[in-house]
Amino acid sequence: MNFFMEIAMLRAARFLWHDLLKPFNPKNPKSSMLRTHVQTSGWSLTEQDPYNNIIRTTLEALAAALGGTQSLHTNSFDEAVGLPTDFSARIARNTQILIQEESQICHVIDPLGGSYYIEALTNGIIQEARKIINEVEELGGMAKAIETGMPKMRVEESAARKQARIDQGLDVIVGVNKYKIDEATPMDVLEVSEQVRDEQISMLKKLKAERDEAKTQNALAGVTEAAEKGGNLLAASIEAIRARATVGEVSDAMEKVFGRFVATTQCISGIYASEYSDQAVIAAIRKRTDTFMEKEGRRPRILLTKMGQDGHDRGIKVVATAFADLGFDVDISPMFQTPEEAAKMAVENDVHLVGASSLAAGHKALVPQLVKSLKAAGGEDILVIVGGVIPPGDYDFLYKAGAVGVFGPGTAITESANKVLNALESRKAA
Amino acid sequence: MLMGEKEPQFYVDGVRSGNRRILAKTITLIESAHPAHRQLAHTVVDELLPLTGKAVRLGITGVPGVGKSTFIESFGMMLVEKGLKVAVLAVDPSSTRSGGSVMADKTRMERLSVAPQAFIRPSPSGGTLGGVARMTRETLLVCEAAGFDVVIVETVGVGQSETTVASMVDFFLVLMLAGAGDELQGIKKGVLELADAVAINKADGDNVEKAEKARRSYAMALHLLNPASPTWSPPVLTCSALTTNGVDQLWETVNDHRRRLSATGELDQKRRHQAVAWMWSRIEDGLKERFFSNPAIRSQLKGVRAAVERGEQSPTAGAEKLLFLLDNAR
Repeated sequence: MNFFMEIAMLRAARFLWHDLLKPFNPKNPKSSMLRTHVQTSGWSLTEQDPYNNIIRTTLEALAAALGGTQSLHTNSFDEAVGLPTDFSARIARNTQILIQEESQICHVIDPLGGSYYIEALTNGIIQEARKIINEVEELGGMAKAIETGMPKMRVEESAARKQARIDQGLDVIVGVNKYKIDEATPMDVLEVSEQVRDEQISMLKKLKAERDEAKTQNALAGVTEAAEKGGNLLAASIEAIRARATVGEVSDAMEKVFGRFVATTQCISGIYASEYSDQAVIAAIRKRTDTFMEKEGRRPRILLTKMGQDGHDRGIKVVATAFADLGFDVDISPMFQTPEEAAKMAVENDVHLVGASSLAAGHKALVPQLVKSLKAAGGEDILVIVGGVIPPGDYDFLYKAGAVGVFGPGTAITESANKVLNALESRKAA
Repeated sequence: MLMGEKEPQFYVDGVRSGNRRILAKTITLIESAHPAHRQLAHTVVDELLPLTGKAVRLGITGVPGVGKSTFIESFGMMLVEKGLKVAVLAVDPSSTRSGGSVMADKTRMERLSVAPQAFIRPSPSGGTLGGVARMTRETLLVCEAAGFDVVIVETVGVGQSETTVASMVDFFLVLMLAGAGDELQGIKKGVLELADAVAINKADGDNVEKAEKARRSYAMALHLLNPASPTWSPPVLTCSALTTNGVDQLWETVNDHRRRLSATGELDQKRRHQAVAWMWSRIEDGLKERFFSNPAIRSQLKGVRAAVERGEQSPTAGAEKLLFLLDNAR
């Protein structure tokens, strides 16, 4: 976290927005005013010593308020391990209310304006942001830039650097790489039962049975037509939703014309290792992967996969690039895989192990299925590890289900790489 | 370790019966740098050889960004929908100094990668001498023996690999983009000489006209080259992996090529020549490998290199000295 930087970013964004709108000669002065919604960072939340997250979120929310945001979402302190409980959600909401109603912070407009430090930071961001904006313009605008994969690549590059700094303790994360505590903090974690899924399915069935089907299909045809002819998609979508179409059906109606977007997956390389200043650590792991190569005739090969409805792929991409830097051959699967699909890929590519990344609480259902599917596809010799947002109480379950390693939030990648190599080596002995 | 993994019969029987797991393990065996695996791999490939020769061997190249993976996704799906079994061998350039690599091809082949009739195997290229496609030919043969109807070999069109790939397939397709300015940018002109067809990809949306223009100028350029076969002059087509326009027609072209060259016997001849050429290239690889793994050379290489670098020894004398060590090996 960089408290003053967050404030300066919002101030810079406001300045740039006003500036960028000028050429359009906005008639309504409100058009030139940037209105923002801010969500505190989910990434900064830690599994270790989790009540610290309340303090983190408070600081982040405070930065947003001092930066002048119009709307705010504060994360719950337990989101590194699961979905929020009623208690953690209340604390999160109260964080906002305290800032808004008790602290009187919101009574002043731009309270830090004129501070030398804040103004200098703001100015710096404006200059640097303009360079990136120009770069995007040169690529032909943001849509074209996304096609080239440029923005995603920058994010991943910065994430890999950050991870290397945290893994070495250069960036302090309290309770993770400094001021660590030995005992785990007991905490309630929300369990989402399978029942929710069944309930949702039966609700969908009921909805589809009771709606005026002709009207729905008509409205969906309207969406497809708007997509074809370049009409107003939003208006057509609202029409369809009013006719009780589901979000899935509306996007299917558009897919008929647009096709499905597939993100350009380019993986950066060398960033993690070069940012890691203690090269001895890197060299030691590379030596292990080299030794493995000499013994086995190939490098340790790992498939990193995201199963289920879980679109959080920043973490897995960081792990991918870091593992490659450490001498692994890394396969990445498409997103939203079923366990059967992941197993098929693992078997075809003949990997030594599969790393399943889970950030949407699907691990208890998906990991056992993956182990089963691997076996069914003849890949019973392929090891399984799990990483991501895993509540401490689930570790045993996952080990029993057949995982040989579980890596929760805050695991240094150098540590998980060593543990993976340990598992591979003991497998051979067995 | 599974039972019998040290026996050639385990692999031969598995591949012959179309077992995906054992096919995958056979490819691993072929790609292995371990000397013991090598010997086993040769035996396995030799035993499978009588079962090969029935598939359409197709090579695809193009510069990064031309949309190879996306093209293979639509092309492969079209074949699968026709009831054909498709194997895709993708060679990934691993670039890191660590020797490790990231293989993300399948993220762009969302549908094909999960299709039961398709088998996609990306291979890391790093670490071993001879690089990229060293073992791809053997892998291709094994896929044929496993009963695949079409085997596609994908390679990045920068570097040496495309010549190697062209020399192991029946049909070599070069993908291009309608670019601004110099139409022959990025790809080496030599690659066009290898092409059995050129396809201008991404001919969709407002790019259709540009693609058509590019098609004409490539057709002109190819016209100036001497075709490798008297029965086939490489056509230039347009296609869109996104809308799948023109993808069907490309398959037609591949079949047409096959029909014509089979009729004249050129296809058989081509394959026979390829096998001999392959032997020569393996000899070159083998020589290099023997050179670099020779203990006497390994111990002197650094010193001689440094001496040449410092100008204390001429490059010729340095080379002679090291080669002399190879002559006297054993």
